[in-house]
Amino acid sequence: MAESLVDVLLKGSSGQNTRGLLKVIILVTISAAAVSSRLFSVIRFESIIHEFDPWFNFRATKYLVQNGFYDFWDWFDDRTWHPLGRVTGGTLYPGLMVTSGVIYHILRFLTIPVDIRNICVLLAPGFSGLTALAMYLLTNEMSSSPSAGLLAAAFMGITPGYISRSVAGSYDNEAIAIFLLVFTFFLWIKAVKIGSIMWGALTALFYGYMVSAWGGYVFITNLIPLHVFVLLCMGRYSSRLYISYTTWYALGTLASMQIPFVGFLPIRNSDHMSALGVFGLLQLVAFAEFVRGFIPGKQFQRLLTASIILTAGLAFVGLVVLTMSGVIAPWSGRFYSLWDTGYAKIHIPIIASVSEHQPTAWPSFFFDLNFLIWLFPAGVYMCFRDLKDEHVFVIIYSVLASYFAGVMVRLMLTLTPIVCVAAALVLSYILDTYLKITPGPVTRGNLEVDTSSGLRSARNPEVGITSYFSKAATTSSIIVYLLLFVAHCTWVTSNAYSSPSVVLASRMPDGSQFIIDDYREAYYWLRQNTPANAKIMSWWDYGYQIGGMADRPTLVDNNTWNNTHIATVGKAMSSREEVSYPILRQHDVDYVLVVFGGLLGYSGDDINKFLWMVRIAEGIWPDEVKERDFFTARGEYRVDDQATPTMRNSLMYKMSYHNYNKLFPMGQATDRVRGAKLPAESPQLSTLEEAFTSENWIIRIYKVKDLDNFGRDHSNAVAFDKGNKRKKANKKKGARILRSE
Amino acid sequence: MKLFTLIFSLFYLITFAATASPIVDKFERFQSLSRLAPLQLDDSSYDELTAKPRDYYAVVILTAMEARFGCALCRDFQPEFDLISRSWNKGSRPDELKLLFGTLDFANGKNTFQRLMLQTAPVLLVFPPTIGPYAKVDDSPLRFDFSGPISADQVYAWLNRQLPDGPKPPLVRPVNYIRIISGATILMGVVTLCTVLSPYVLPIVRNRNLWAAFSLIAILLFTSGHMFNHIRKVPYVVGDGKGGISYFAGGFSNQFGMETQVIAAIYAVLSFSAIALAMKVPRIADTKSQQVAVVIWGVVLFGTYSFLLSVFRVKNGGYPFFLPPF
Repeated sequence: MAESLVDVLLKGSSGQNTRGLLKVIILVTISAAAVSSRLFSVIRFESIIHEFDPWFNFRATKYLVQNGFYDFWDWFDDRTWHPLGRVTGGTLYPGLMVTSGVIYHILRFLTIPVDIRNICVLLAPGFSGLTALAMYLLTNEMSSSPSAGLLAAAFMGITPGYISRSVAGSYDNEAIAIFLLVFTFFLWIKAVKIGSIMWGALTALFYGYMVSAWGGYVFITNLIPLHVFVLLCMGRYSSRLYISYTTWYALGTLASMQIPFVGFLPIRNSDHMSALGVFGLLQLVAFAEFVRGFIPGKQFQRLLTASIILTAGLAFVGLVVLTMSGVIAPWSGRFYSLWDTGYAKIHIPIIASVSEHQPTAWPSFFFDLNFLIWLFPAGVYMCFRDLKDEHVFVIIYSVLASYFAGVMVRLMLTLTPIVCVAAALVLSYILDTYLKITPGPVTRGNLEVDTSSGLRSARNPEVGITSYFSKAATTSSIIVYLLLFVAHCTWVTSNAYSSPSVVLASRMPDGSQFIIDDYREAYYWLRQNTPANAKIMSWWDYGYQIGGMADRPTLVDNNTWNNTHIATVGKAMSSREEVSYPILRQHDVDYVLVVFGGLLGYSGDDINKFLWMVRIAEGIWPDEVKERDFFTARGEYRVDDQATPTMRNSLMYKMSYHNYNKLFPMGQATDRVRGAKLPAESPQLSTLEEAFTSENWIIRIYKVKDLDNFGRDHSNAVAFDKGNKRKKANKKKGARILRSE
Repeated sequence: MKLFTLIFSLFYLITFAATASPIVDKFERFQSLSRLAPLQLDDSSYDELTAKPRDYYAVVILTAMEARFGCALCRDFQPEFDLISRSWNKGSRPDELKLLFGTLDFANGKNTFQRLMLQTAPVLLVFPPTIGPYAKVDDSPLRFDFSGPISADQVYAWLNRQLPDGPKPPLVRPVNYIRIISGATILMGVVTLCTVLSPYVLPIVRNRNLWAAFSLIAILLFTSGHMFNHIRKVPYVVGDGKGGISYFAGGFSNQFGMETQVIAAIYAVLSFSAIALAMKVPRIADTKSQQVAVVIWGVVLFGTYSFLLSVFRVKNGGYPFFLPPF
């Protein structure tokens, strides 16, 4: 009875429906799992925006919602980069803000009153659910097995490599960009397979959306032409390819040029030239194919081939000449540093200083991808089995993205989708083979394996697995790996990627949780105790947070568009007070904010970042700031009484350790980050005065003193207040003269 | 009395003339000795070059080129220093700005090294002139500190800041004609070879197995952290202080060269087991041997994965998961 019921459900047309329903249920469950595994931070802390960049995106979204789209487009922000300001509307990727603005207005229209903050916090988890769906579609194009897509969706839903940038609260461009990336690739594969203008246009549309959302769109801009180029080299030109590529290129380029920040880059910048070059090459090849149909002569065909190669070569030389003469801008530094890995360290320290631009050590790969990392090469190998156009795409994507991910930790994000695809391909193949109860080979759709040119391992005909023990053993071990994967992902998400980094959590000795909320404490102090126009100087990492939480103008922020301005701040931080004070005055600075982790052992503080400030300042003023001066004679970076005089006199050092020794008994002051014993005397500040120090001393805020009333310089004024005897103004002391009458 | 003054002033004149002319001579002489390359100095010529009335800048590098000192930095920088010297001497420079380049090797200048109490090499010293239009009151030499591999451009930029303002010859790297010509020749050779050998080469180029092998090796290299080694220049292996070798670096974001190779091998074994289970085993016609193959590959997969997890637990202290054998 039961067997017949199963038969009824799984066979014939009702079987189709049952499978469809099951797929929908599974996909919905996967999306739900993807969303819910990203909610750790909301449950543990609260619905709060994380980290640094999201605070700017949040602020921009609020501006968009309050002032409307056109004001947002023309937004000139005078509260950052004081006194320069920033043409914010023209220098950001608006996709993220517009997306949440649209969602906000739709919900308002449906009379659901929801705060814009909650939309921003939950946007990334929501879109990760969509990413899982897009992943299903993409993988389905690669494999005939119905389980591959579902596995890929599940992997994508919970793999830490993607969760790392999309937990609730990390309201960053990547939150929607990865969905767009995967979906654009799905549309592209579909377009190449069918060769229809509609799919090509859809690809262009989503490409345009991607351009508006993330600077990583350059990856698509180069990957699709590369795919086409490789297909051409393999002799796989077809009208499908021609139609889909030309449609995508023409419409996609137009779409991308609508974004003010991108503007004319697609035709003036080397990053985009490969797309243009392949577009031209495709025209030539298409023309040759066209002519070949009419003229049979073999000699003529050879001539034609030669002329096409010549034209392509000439066009390439033309591109090079245009680049040399400056019509086409060279590779942008950020992109160039991916190829020439030493470039950024020498020429653009500001890029090299960001921790997510560091190269990736192997544990990060395993941490972010777990067992997918070793299924990945196997999946790529599977793609070589029936090397269709879409499999070529997977192979190119895999090799390129693994290179990029190796060079930059951050680009692990672009690697993750293809790892999920490849791993799902091989795992679904194994499961299909070993889960088949009846003996005999698995029937795999309409696959016709070409045994002559295929892989060595796929030459013999498939016979299927015969023994039940083999099936049971393999299947159960794979289930163990899968369960381990789920446990790993949950553990990693919970432990590593769910901290808002604005609020820190630590454990007390008795195991209870201890919440460290110094950042918000300090930012709200600024908000409530300073005039609305007080300029805050801090290192650029904190610019967005100050703008977002304290709502005060800042000198530099995470946008880093003006290296000189950042170097100015670096110089003020790393110079003596006598040098720094005029800089502070010239930039109207009212308060200076530093982050100090010495009391708590919080290692991401400003003293640890200090060398980058010095380096960046040295890049502009090599004579006034020298990195060497901050190292002792033995080449050590020290903060204790062995520290170099330059270090001890620098503004940053003084602000960090000012009055710190008063927390400790005489001579016991220690810095818990660097494990250093500090000098017994506190550094003397004369041009700044302490205004605020947060509970755990993480944030210290200093007020810049006004000019002295009596026109003295500040060190004299402080000395007078302390009651020190006035020093005689440097009286020339010549050599003693022996007088003899 | 008058006579005395006269004699005295005459004496002065003579001494002045006697001292003035050698100075000019000194620069000219050194200049003639070093047309393009820097002067090869020893203790005495170093003293002479840096002796006090001088109307020129002297840029001296104190280095240790001999192999037994093992100063890689010295050997790397020497061609760069020669390049600076050549660019300066060849280029058009202001006439009154006199600049001499010299190299003092430790083998020829032990006394100087001792006198300056130098513990490290290379050291770049710049002696400003004591007389002439650019004379400086403080005539002690300026010192450039080497804190790692440094290119000629950086040193030249630093040097330019020490010199008085004005036009200076640009740093010109000689065009490596041999490299260009050899490159072009090789390129043409390859093209010719490809055309001639195309019947034999094409099957290789079109060989799927070959491309698969290339792609997999590339992926394994990149995902096991090879680029990190390349960029950070990590050591291959490090001793553990007890005479042994520690294969795995402590810490999550740190690794050794050999460690990555071990990891790449582990990944390769795991991938290959997965491929074998997926593609090879279902094609074995014999039931018995298929059973054995499944067991072997399954055990290899399980064991290696367990080992990988144990290695990862070494790298990441708090990691809670493991598989039985390791």
